[in-house]
Amino acid sequence: MGALLGLTNGLGVVNAALLTFGRRLGAGMVAVMVIVILLQVFFRYVLGNALAWPEESARFLMLWMTGLMAPTAFRRGGFVSIEMLTRLLPTGASAILSLLLLGLSLVVMIVGLQIGWSEVTGLGGRFATDSLHYPTSLDFSTWDKVPKRWMMLSLVVGLGLLISVCVELILRSLVTLAGHANRLIEIPFAVMGGAE
Amino acid sequence: MLSFFLPLFLVFLLLGLPVFFGLIAAPAILLWLNGQERDIVLLYRNVYNGMDSFPLMAIPFFMLAGEVMNRSNITMRLVEFSQAMMGHLRGGLAHVNVLSSMLFAGLSGSAVADVSALGSMLIPAMEKQGYTRSFAAAITAASSIIGPIIPPSGIMIIYAYVMGESVAALFLAGIVPGILIGGGLMLTIHLLADRYNLPARTQRATWGQRGQASVKAIWPLLTPVIILGGILGGVFTPTEAAAVAVGYATFIGLFVMRTLKLRDMPEVLTNAGMTSAVVLLLVGAAMAFKTVASLSHTPELLASIILGLSDNPLILLFLINLLLFVVGMFLDAGPAIIILGPILGPIFTSLGVDSVHFAIIMAVNLTVGLLTPPMGLVLFVTSSVSGLRVETIAKATLPFLAVEVLVIFMITFIPAISLTVPRLFGFVH
Repeated sequence: MGALLGLTNGLGVVNAALLTFGRRLGAGMVAVMVIVILLQVFFRYVLGNALAWPEESARFLMLWMTGLMAPTAFRRGGFVSIEMLTRLLPTGASAILSLLLLGLSLVVMIVGLQIGWSEVTGLGGRFATDSLHYPTSLDFSTWDKVPKRWMMLSLVVGLGLLISVCVELILRSLVTLAGHANRLIEIPFAVMGGAE
Repeated sequence: MLSFFLPLFLVFLLLGLPVFFGLIAAPAILLWLNGQERDIVLLYRNVYNGMDSFPLMAIPFFMLAGEVMNRSNITMRLVEFSQAMMGHLRGGLAHVNVLSSMLFAGLSGSAVADVSALGSMLIPAMEKQGYTRSFAAAITAASSIIGPIIPPSGIMIIYAYVMGESVAALFLAGIVPGILIGGGLMLTIHLLADRYNLPARTQRATWGQRGQASVKAIWPLLTPVIILGGILGGVFTPTEAAAVAVGYATFIGLFVMRTLKLRDMPEVLTNAGMTSAVVLLLVGAAMAFKTVASLSHTPELLASIILGLSDNPLILLFLINLLLFVVGMFLDAGPAIIILGPILGPIFTSLGVDSVHFAIIMAVNLTVGLLTPPMGLVLFVTSSVSGLRVETIAKATLPFLAVEVLVIFMITFIPAISLTVPRLFGFVH
């Protein structure tokens, strides 16, 4: 039990650190998204010069924001689900059901990660974005188009983080089933609204 | 075999699998069993492409605008304005609560934000004036659901995206139903004043006081004008309007009211980002689900079952309202719209029900579902704000819930309620 507990809490610490980094980066991306779109409006209506890049760059940031922030929501119980049955069942049965559901979620994510990686490294990822460029020299004299795979990687990274969280939650369920829930590190729980 | 994905999805949902995973797992498992492994790749692509959308970006922006306004205490000015206008009536603070929710709806479009912002302020104030806490909590919860009905609205954006409708048309169609719910709640307060022994009338505010309150509230009150005016005037798209709303709210909070501090921003951005991330993933999964739904001919199958019940659209609309109400008891409005919209929408439009009208029936019905146990998000948030048990609040909201159900049926059977405004602007013919 000691090894399982150590592994669970160790993974918890790693996840907490990774997700804190992801949340901060994601929050910054939300701010940049707003600024970029406000710039788009300003340039189009005030300066009469419609910029080509704001829309695509904001989409780029939104995808990454989703990939980086959704795993925190998952870890904190923020993914929408109907929890009636798990609440009605006795503790042991409820823990086993949760374990099975987490197992199914893990399979979905692993398959998704495999497909996602093959998409990123495949033909689709080799195409370039329409309007985004990055410098290829230190003096900014040469630029290249941002490849689509940089955008597509957002969902793969998101799935990777979700898998890590899911494994942690499975381990936590096992520890809970063994009756040692009080020795687990605490995960802040969030009552999260959706678009409502 | 593929058409079994819907029952399988429902089983997963009832077992407690998160909606996001259920939306993907159910069709994926059946594709795999059907030997269509290559189509699972399409499922993944649909999730990704479903999220990669500029119109969808309005969701994080409107959520952020709501968060900024909450943090800036802009709600305080709306409450003062409502107090000046309606505070003198019998049960004045209850009326103020409803009017504030209607005004707040024009800023945030979220019932949860409404309960958090207004509930923490008005429930203690109402209790101090002699209202019972359960009544105060009930009217706060009941009026908050106007949030996603009067524009802007997160769930309308989701519906518009998933179903290919115009966001502007749905925004406009929500105005009258939202006002109708607000009016209905005020009428109920008036009728129940004796039964609940609500505080007596007080002195009416002078026109000078009303003017002062209006000037103080002018900044937040202008937000819906900017959003809707900008969209309808062709100045900006709904997504750009949402970004402008964020910029405007931040400007007011930081420089006009000076109630927002830069140090508040990381938390505000994180809250908005995290909630949006979950919604975006769900919408992406819904787009994949929608594709499988069309491939499996499930809508046609369901259509034949539903049409077998009756060929009268009015009876079918009545039945669908019952179904939506039951679904709303178990699922929040956003996920329910994502799941049911692509299945039910085409059936009713083929029966001659206007797509905007059907969207409003769904949106209002499922939003009212936020008030119904066992899974009423608004009840949970009101419970945490008021300190009352969910069951107590649910019981106290019953008279208000009855009014809202009545409004749902009015919206259903009188299409003009939702279609007149969009028709005036040329969105519905």
